[in-house]
Amino acid sequence: MSNQLTTNRRTFLKLSGTAGGGLILGFNLYGCATLPSDPLFTALEINAFILINGDGTAIIRAKNPDIGQGVKTSLPMILAEELDLPWEKVIVEQAELDSRMGSQFAGGSTGVKTNYDNLRKAGAAVRDVLVRAAANQWNVPITEIKTEDGFVISGRKKLHYGHLAEAAAQLEVNENPPLKDPQDFKIIGKSKSDVDLQKIVTGQPLFGLDQEIDGMVYATVLKPDVFGAKLRSFDATEALKIEGIIDVFEIEGMDNPTRMVDGVAIVADKLWTAFKAKKLVKANWSNPRGYIASNRQLMADFKKGINAKGEVLREDGNVDSEFRSNNNQIEATYDVPFVSHSQMEPMNFIADVRENEIDLTGPTQTPGSAAGLANMITGIPRENIKVKFTRIGGGFGRRLGNDYASEAVFISHKLKRPVKLVWNRENDFLGDYYRPAGCYHFKAAMEGSKLTALDVNICTTSRYLYRGSSPAHGTEAFPDQQPAGMVPNFRIAYTPLLTNIPVGALRTPGMNATTFAYQCFMDELAQNAGKDPIDFQLEMIGEEDRDMPYSDHGGPSYNTTRLRGVINRVRQESGWDQPAKDGVSRGFAGQMVFGTYVACVVDVRNANGKIKVDQVHIAADCGRVINPIGAEAQIQGGVTDAISAALYESLELDRGKPKAQNFDQYQKLRMKDSPDVHVHLTDSNEQPQGLGEPSYPILFPALVNAVSRSIGKRVRELPLKKHGLV
Amino acid sequence: MPVYSINVNGKSRQVDVDADTPLLWVLRDTLDLVGTKFGCGIAQCGACTVHLNGNAVRSCSLPVSTIGDNEITTIEGLSENGDHPVQSAWREHDVPQCGYCQAGQMMNAAAFLSRNSNPSDEDIENAMHGNICRCATYNKIKAAVKTAATNM
Repeated sequence: MSNQLTTNRRTFLKLSGTAGGGLILGFNLYGCATLPSDPLFTALEINAFILINGDGTAIIRAKNPDIGQGVKTSLPMILAEELDLPWEKVIVEQAELDSRMGSQFAGGSTGVKTNYDNLRKAGAAVRDVLVRAAANQWNVPITEIKTEDGFVISGRKKLHYGHLAEAAAQLEVNENPPLKDPQDFKIIGKSKSDVDLQKIVTGQPLFGLDQEIDGMVYATVLKPDVFGAKLRSFDATEALKIEGIIDVFEIEGMDNPTRMVDGVAIVADKLWTAFKAKKLVKANWSNPRGYIASNRQLMADFKKGINAKGEVLREDGNVDSEFRSNNNQIEATYDVPFVSHSQMEPMNFIADVRENEIDLTGPTQTPGSAAGLANMITGIPRENIKVKFTRIGGGFGRRLGNDYASEAVFISHKLKRPVKLVWNRENDFLGDYYRPAGCYHFKAAMEGSKLTALDVNICTTSRYLYRGSSPAHGTEAFPDQQPAGMVPNFRIAYTPLLTNIPVGALRTPGMNATTFAYQCFMDELAQNAGKDPIDFQLEMIGEEDRDMPYSDHGGPSYNTTRLRGVINRVRQESGWDQPAKDGVSRGFAGQMVFGTYVACVVDVRNANGKIKVDQVHIAADCGRVINPIGAEAQIQGGVTDAISAALYESLELDRGKPKAQNFDQYQKLRMKDSPDVHVHLTDSNEQPQGLGEPSYPILFPALVNAVSRSIGKRVRELPLKKHGLV
Repeated sequence: MPVYSINVNGKSRQVDVDADTPLLWVLRDTLDLVGTKFGCGIAQCGACTVHLNGNAVRSCSLPVSTIGDNEITTIEGLSENGDHPVQSAWREHDVPQCGYCQAGQMMNAAAFLSRNSNPSDEDIENAMHGNICRCATYNKIKAAVKTAATNM
């Protein structure tokens, strides 16, 4: 980049010294409606995010990885808004790992919410230097200058950004530039198609799997079929006889199983050759001690866990005393399974480890951590490690870990040549870090329709424990989750279960399980009290405008008026208070998720005991919406993704091995079972929040509450397939 | 290794690969046509869908030795300027999220619509059943197929 910049500056100066000189005065352009067709220069970097071209267009760098959540479009929209450049004049490029940009990752629905203020400033700062450059050239006060349609204008003087870029680049950047009044927004809040849309519909190379570098060879890996097994020995005699095979060798796992696990690398001149040879490698594995052999064994461990005395995470009032004096008690236990990420693009990464430099290219949600692992494996300093991250064929949390990037680094380091590592689908199921399975026990005391005590005992496999972080309950139990703070006597306790089954983050980690359990139990309580489920929850939330303290992701608090807002909205939009159509049963759930408020109503039909999801209404309040078409897509996608998991998905074990290792056995939702999802977004000026995840967890309870009503029996375990309901 | 002559997007291409190499890997790794995607390798997800004489087939499960002189069309060859009615409809509805499966979805839809230009919802659901969209953009895919049908 620095070479290019030098060249460009030189070119620009040369040009501006001749033909450009007149233009800089501005007079020649007055009344000129079109831009010069020949750009004078390209990509003059004003700050890390914005590069101005000589034709008045700009390159805007998309700082974070795009896994389908749309940040390659929405984050540049924020920059373009404050730059005050029409979207048609913006060319979006994917940034590389660049320390000037702050943290670059995709996770926790944080892309928009944590970057909104900074990117507004970064865009405004560039506009500000352009305006000041014009003020200097024209010798007019800044107050007499405005920007419009990508031009800087003062009276009859008018220059586009390309004409001012060089002068602007010399000025000191104002760290607190004037920001737009949101009422004047022209891009934020207006639907913009995905910036890669044309490339996607014409099949251009965009994804990690589509990349290549000079001289690369292909590698794949053989993995054990019991999670966590260690490689004892292997025999590659037959594999090495195949034409085109380059090498077969051991991959030594790292101490932390989220960084890299044991395997055998198979390297060949073609990927297909490597895939074929893999079948001929014979490996001996030693299974980890105490590994989980069956789902029945897992369930027994969970039951022990919820009966154990767990760590108390929050205690209000006196639950035990209320239970002693109140006999109107209800108990229920909910179970959630391990769920695969099954992102469509299989794991892949390109590593070129040289003497003292590394180039990495691939799909990762955390490029910085990929660089960190490459440093750990090779000892090559971080500053000599470059990471290019690609568009990602689905993340869902799977690519927060970089175990596959580690493998590519390990293989390239050993071979001393560039390597493209590709897993097949079976590798994905054997090498996934599953959504933690867990068990949730509730005991409640009621006075009429009022919940007076709630005791929650949770036992789950824990992704924090698995990766060596603390506390173990980290993303497994949320002490302040609704209805905490709305019940006078409340207690939540947690017991972790460490198993050999790898666990990681999946779309709303932890919350996708707790929300199912909590919001289903609320529905049970409402039914038990003979109350409408929405009325029951609204009464519990109360009519006061309250900020409920919330110590987890999405906090520090959530607001009860906004929560009631989405609940009332979905009630109205779904026609909740009108009689349901013949044969339709409805279920409801509503909650704050990661800072966004969501409420959902699901309609199901029951045909001879088989459930068909008819339609879904979901209301969401995520504060200010950046890109409405993208926002709606995220909400629809999250809901529909959850329907797939709720209906079909679980890891089933046979003597410790996953029964499903491809899509012939692991069922995913297809079009015919995908209902219409009606999205109702709140029109809001509040600070923007994320949308990649919040619609996902709320679907589970809304759907299962509808199903329970439909079949006249409570369903407390996912997926529904296990109960013969699909 | 044998050399095969195959007809891809209207051009004859010579490829020097093993007989059992699936067309998918010939396209992607030998011919640099990477628009066709690898999803499952067992014809279950549809990401690798291409046309063989105008019919949608799963290229991951089609050995190169079986292709002979049949005509292959990939997403790169679906239209000259990216303006096949299916591509236009996909743009109009801003269908993709991650976008990885969409080439397969579009190829499947294009083959289906060439035989049924006035499909019912049920026709569309049945025709698109073999293609998984993990981001679950099914609402938009269905809407785009309908739009494309009116412009075929």
